[in-house]
Amino acid sequence: MIAYIIRRLLNTIPIIFGVTLIVFILFNLVGGDPTYQMLGRHANAQQIAELRHEYGFDQPKYIQFFSYLKQVLTFDYGRSYATKQPISQMILDGMGPSLSLMIPSFLLTTILSVSIGLMVAYFRGRWIDRLTVIFCVLGMSLPMLAYILFGQYFLAFKWGMFPISGYDTQWPDRMQYLLMPMFIFVAVSLGYDVRFYRTAILEEVNQDYVRTARAKGLSEPRIFFKHVLKNSMVPILTNIVIEIPLLILGAFLLESFFGIPGLGSITIDAVHNSDFPVIKAMTTLVAILYVFGNLATDILYTLVDPRVSLK
Amino acid sequence: MIWKANKNKKSQCQHLLAPFLIVSLLGSACSFKSHKEPPNTLHLSVPEKIKGLDPIYAEDLYSGTVLAQSYETLLGYHYLKRPYSLTPQLAEKMPEVSSDGLTYTFHLKEGVLFQDDPCFKATGGKGRELTAEDVLYSFKRLADPKLTSNGWWVFDDRIKGLNEWREASLKAGQSDYSKEIDGLKALDRYTVQIKLKKRSQLLLYVLAMPYTSIVPREAVEHYGREFINHAVGTGPFKLAEYNPNSKIIFKKNPTFRKELYPSEGEPEDQQQGLLVDAGKSLPLADQLNIEVYVEMQPMWLNFLSGKLDVSSIPKDNFSSAITSDRKLRPELVSQGIQLVKAPMLDITHASFNMADPLLGKNKYLRQALSLAYDENSFIDLFYNGAAVPAQGPIPPGLDGYNSQLKNPYRQFNIARAKELLAKAGYPEGKGLPPLEYASVASSLGRQQTEYLQKMFGAIGVKLNVNTYSWPQFLETVKNKRAQIWEYAWAGDYPDAENFLQLFYSKNASPGQNDSNYSNPEFDQLYVKSLDLPAGAERTALYQKMASMVIEDAPWIFGAHRMRFTLFQKWLKNYKPHEFAHGNFKYYRVDPNLKQ
Repeated sequence: MIAYIIRRLLNTIPIIFGVTLIVFILFNLVGGDPTYQMLGRHANAQQIAELRHEYGFDQPKYIQFFSYLKQVLTFDYGRSYATKQPISQMILDGMGPSLSLMIPSFLLTTILSVSIGLMVAYFRGRWIDRLTVIFCVLGMSLPMLAYILFGQYFLAFKWGMFPISGYDTQWPDRMQYLLMPMFIFVAVSLGYDVRFYRTAILEEVNQDYVRTARAKGLSEPRIFFKHVLKNSMVPILTNIVIEIPLLILGAFLLESFFGIPGLGSITIDAVHNSDFPVIKAMTTLVAILYVFGNLATDILYTLVDPRVSLK
Repeated sequence: MIWKANKNKKSQCQHLLAPFLIVSLLGSACSFKSHKEPPNTLHLSVPEKIKGLDPIYAEDLYSGTVLAQSYETLLGYHYLKRPYSLTPQLAEKMPEVSSDGLTYTFHLKEGVLFQDDPCFKATGGKGRELTAEDVLYSFKRLADPKLTSNGWWVFDDRIKGLNEWREASLKAGQSDYSKEIDGLKALDRYTVQIKLKKRSQLLLYVLAMPYTSIVPREAVEHYGREFINHAVGTGPFKLAEYNPNSKIIFKKNPTFRKELYPSEGEPEDQQQGLLVDAGKSLPLADQLNIEVYVEMQPMWLNFLSGKLDVSSIPKDNFSSAITSDRKLRPELVSQGIQLVKAPMLDITHASFNMADPLLGKNKYLRQALSLAYDENSFIDLFYNGAAVPAQGPIPPGLDGYNSQLKNPYRQFNIARAKELLAKAGYPEGKGLPPLEYASVASSLGRQQTEYLQKMFGAIGVKLNVNTYSWPQFLETVKNKRAQIWEYAWAGDYPDAENFLQLFYSKNASPGQNDSNYSNPEFDQLYVKSLDLPAGAERTALYQKMASMVIEDAPWIFGAHRMRFTLFQKWLKNYKPHEFAHGNFKYYRVDPNLKQ
């Protein structure tokens, strides 16, 4: 397994290189020159030239690319063009709020969706199954913005169940601000996840070993929790682990509307401002996390399915 | 068997719902100690994240507003008087000006202290007195090429020796702050002398802008590149918490000098209760909470629920707050909410690229397009009627504005537009290639573009729309690649020069004259106007320049927007001011009314 892990880690090098190249090309093709925005509308040609020189925008593209690669290797992306803050600090500052929102939301969504998936698979074809599928489709059809507008207007403003928006750096005060965005995240994600897990579980329910277990007289809960759930774990794990690295990116809409100073809004600001250092840092970070997430999934497969071995 | 299984499932369902219920109960159980704040705390908002607190980067309005609570400038604006007038702030009085108009001497107030901060190591963290050397240091920072300030334009080519100092710094790779500059001298501990290269009335306005705030050298050196996250000024509020993405808290500065609420204002100020606090020590509020709302809906709902003291009206909520006759809706009036309307001193416009071989050389074509542009319906659709159509480049309220002026090319008239289009050589638009229109990618940008296409389509002119991100848009415009685009300009200071310089040929792209208008006669008048004091002669020059750009039509003049602001009944002394960035010191909350 160690050889496999080393091989996979080595494979990440060309992947990260490819990501950096694509980000660099895309930014230079469609990102726009950040100089004009940095200097404002009063800037003259001399100031523009000075700033371009100061930030190295006047250097040949290949040199700019190599200095980007150096940043990737040293994890030092310098400072944001727009806010002049150190990017590592921006990421650290944004990670806390994003994860405060995303970890409980994700855990709750996963627990609920796997549980509901199991339940409706058990009641397959009955009214509870049909009703759940209808709710899932409805939930998937509504955009997150609709939930946010409804939640803020009715649940928060009209009925006072939650704060309308805001954020607190201290616990437990922060909790009050995270509850509504968390429930919205769960409501939006549940439809897709329940349908996915239901399908994964149903595939297992139709297997011969389930019929054999029933014929042997095993109880339904035992069949579901001991056999079906365990055998459904491969697709479930794939879905869960692959989402974990993306949690760090936060949820842009939720963060913007609820005033949560997380990484989602930092990334979107960076795109709007052509803040290339921040875009580079975030893209590379997510790419690396994604690659490691994939590796972790493969390793976890061996734990839940003895048939899988890593060579 | 089946019954048993169902029963099991029922209890299973309860288990499945348990985490949801626990989280929900946990949430309400922790409901929630709120941070204690004094009853006289202001709750204000900004619609953008704050880019930093270093004055030399205060290009955007909101960063300027936030930092101006802590930092001060030599001059400020009278809070109540209109038209806007300058008053001394850190200066003891308005400067003495030499007879040739080139030398300005400022006497600083004595005993003004910087806020206590660990950067003052010599005094154990106690803020020291502000002196003339601090003024010189702060002004040189604006010119320091290493710092790439976006506010350098305020001093560029204005102060004797400052450009040369900048050039020398650029060559040497570092700036020598100890080097004396001919035009910037400390005559003694409290006296600053500024010598200009040429006469300019605008220097005084510049010295009231956040860019020229006075900072202590110790703070800049102590915090280094982190100085952008600190505010160590002489102002009425001291920074207590700074999260530029969500919340900024200021507390009353205990070492703030004695400054009093003004006792004079406009005739209606007395009636509106704006002079009740006359003569009281500033700041009136104990704490300032500024929250960042990048989305309008939560800001609006927070205002309606009383958690914010002031709010603008989001475009989509305008009709739910304002009646068709532009009054506040009764349900809001009954809550004690008050409406105040004020001109924004700005102008929206569609620019023609005068460097473009087609549009730049065909005045009739530009005039025809201007006549086809129905500003009134545009204002109704996109500004909820809260704007007045612009007839020329100078907004109402500024010297040079002529309320009687009717721009002959801004009276919506399709027939006349068609006539001029034919005169331009394109009857009914025939033979005219589609014009390239640059637009910023946003839903509002798309709606406005579609409307523009419809208006120009009515006279047979087609638009090819190119949509860009904001940086791409700027790059396209500044490199003279677009033919037409829409833009707006908000005044930096209350002088028509700030609007007329947008047509001065030396400011052409990548400068602020991005329509690249070039007219030697206009340039001559513009340069002459810089030399003149306010008065009839300068007003006549401003009007003459305005009439030249009206005739040449490098822009389709759009609108001067109005600011509709709502404030709660408990907020006292609110009066909108376009340039007094540090005006929160005048506000206070009446805790009895708030309860």
